[in-house]
Amino acid sequence: MSEPMVKVRDVRKSYNGIEVLKGVDLHVARGEVTCLIGPSGSGKSTLLRCINHLEKHDSGELRVDGELVGYEARNGKLYELTDKRVCENRSRIGMVFQRFNLFQHLNVLDNVTIGQMKVRGTSREDANNKARELLARVGLKDKEKNYPSQLSGGQQQRVAIARALAMDPKLMLFDEPTSALDPELVGEVLEVMKDLARSGMTMIVVTHEIGFAREVANTVYFLDGGVIEESGDPRTILVTPSSDRLKNFLSKVL
Amino acid sequence: MTPHGDDSIKVVPVRHYGQWIGVAVLGLFLAMLFHTLFIRVASAKVTCKVASVAATCHHVMVWRYSWNIVGHYFFTSEILHGLRITLELTVIAMVIGIALGLLIAVMRMSRNRLLSTVAFAYTWFFRGTPVFVQLFFWSFLGAVYPRLTLGIPFTHVTYAHINVNTSFTIFDACALGLGLNEGAYMSEIARAGLISVDEGQIEAATSLGMTRRQTLRLVTIPQAMRVIIPPTGNEVISMLKTTSLASAVGLIELLGAATNIYSANYEIIPLLIVASLWFLVVTTILSIGQFYLERRFARGALRTPPPTPIQRLRGDVRGVASKFRTRRGLGAPA
Repeated sequence: MSEPMVKVRDVRKSYNGIEVLKGVDLHVARGEVTCLIGPSGSGKSTLLRCINHLEKHDSGELRVDGELVGYEARNGKLYELTDKRVCENRSRIGMVFQRFNLFQHLNVLDNVTIGQMKVRGTSREDANNKARELLARVGLKDKEKNYPSQLSGGQQQRVAIARALAMDPKLMLFDEPTSALDPELVGEVLEVMKDLARSGMTMIVVTHEIGFAREVANTVYFLDGGVIEESGDPRTILVTPSSDRLKNFLSKVL
Repeated sequence: MTPHGDDSIKVVPVRHYGQWIGVAVLGLFLAMLFHTLFIRVASAKVTCKVASVAATCHHVMVWRYSWNIVGHYFFTSEILHGLRITLELTVIAMVIGIALGLLIAVMRMSRNRLLSTVAFAYTWFFRGTPVFVQLFFWSFLGAVYPRLTLGIPFTHVTYAHINVNTSFTIFDACALGLGLNEGAYMSEIARAGLISVDEGQIEAATSLGMTRRQTLRLVTIPQAMRVIIPPTGNEVISMLKTTSLASAVGLIELLGAATNIYSANYEIIPLLIVASLWFLVVTTILSIGQFYLERRFARGALRTPPPTPIQRLRGDVRGVASKFRTRRGLGAPA
């Protein structure tokens, strides 16, 4: 088997002396969809944010596509990467946020082109073409001139997905992408994500949508209190969980 | 559908009697204000007209606010020159102030402790001392430092020098002094704008791979502008009038020009009115500019931008016109 896209080994992270991640291990193979589930405060989002170095982990090993995140190992020592290198690495990892975080001062098209043009140096014409293609893919072809405030939550989240995809990411991270949506808008976002999964994108999804996890995920990790409590095939662990905590959790969310 | 089967609802609106009384009282006050501003009153001067045998004498009637004198001085070259100095000082001081303010705000929010401390100290000092004193310092800079040299510090190596007393004019001193002072105030306004931008916007930019500098320039500052502009408009208008401090160090600006004239002819009130009217004219133009600037930077923040005054006026006219049309329509037999 080839090198996994994401390899996390014994990663720890604390905020102000409170340990949020207490030694987490995670493997994500290329082209696979991994769902992280668990109660709030269990460290799911923190783990996700460590993967693209929005947060620095305190110890352990974190590799994306074989390379250490945020550091470089030379002669047995760890060197911090320059800001430029960190930015370069981040630009290959797409991130979708719970609260969409579209750039409020830019219209839909510019939201999708700004990263390509300013980070990649793509020409406006190429960036526009790609953005239109992606907007069509998420079903928002006719909204390119609208501002984010004029869109529904579901539409905004689909634009956010297009914005992340415009950077040609090798990995997509979703941080509770449907938690801020009205129930009837959840479906349209999940549809886009399923389509993305079918296309072979490597995805890590923090979610409360157990149905989505069961249908789409190759592997599900259940986090509780900063540790992986249980992991495995969703059709196994979500149907016949072995730990009491997961049983308890599933009984609450289902 | 209404009970009568009409497609539009016709109702008798609620009568706001309190508002009507308020309008009447306000109208009365406005009439009084207009009257006192433009009435002519009897002056001490007397003119007599001799007709055949008897002479009839009466007092000369004059404007209470001497509008004739105001009009006479309004476009004199002294006043216009003062106005030009005022405008130039305002523009240069605000350009320095805004640029410096933004720089200091960014420094203040930097992770680097030295930068943030220097920024804090700058704001502390320039906000904490009177701008009047600062203007005096800069205008007497030549007395403290007659020569400014460019060289290696703490050695005798110098490459160039300027004579402060000849090449640093009083105008330069005022523009610099006002600008440096303004920078301290602007930095707090800019900082308020920068911290008002949602953290999520910065995270989104970061996760796209933007550097901190790109994030600031492309995402944070454009969105901060919405918050920064209204108080900055305040600062510009305030600066317009603060420039009158320059006359205290010998630079004759608008108010200084008026003062010079009235100290010769004692027409104090009319000349102060001349200066004030010019300040009002400029303030009006600035306010209009601010309105359109705000609209420009509010893009995306509101679902529908507020109408411009002209659009609103057009809407009002249309509204009133349609009201009259319906009135007539109601009166006519169906």
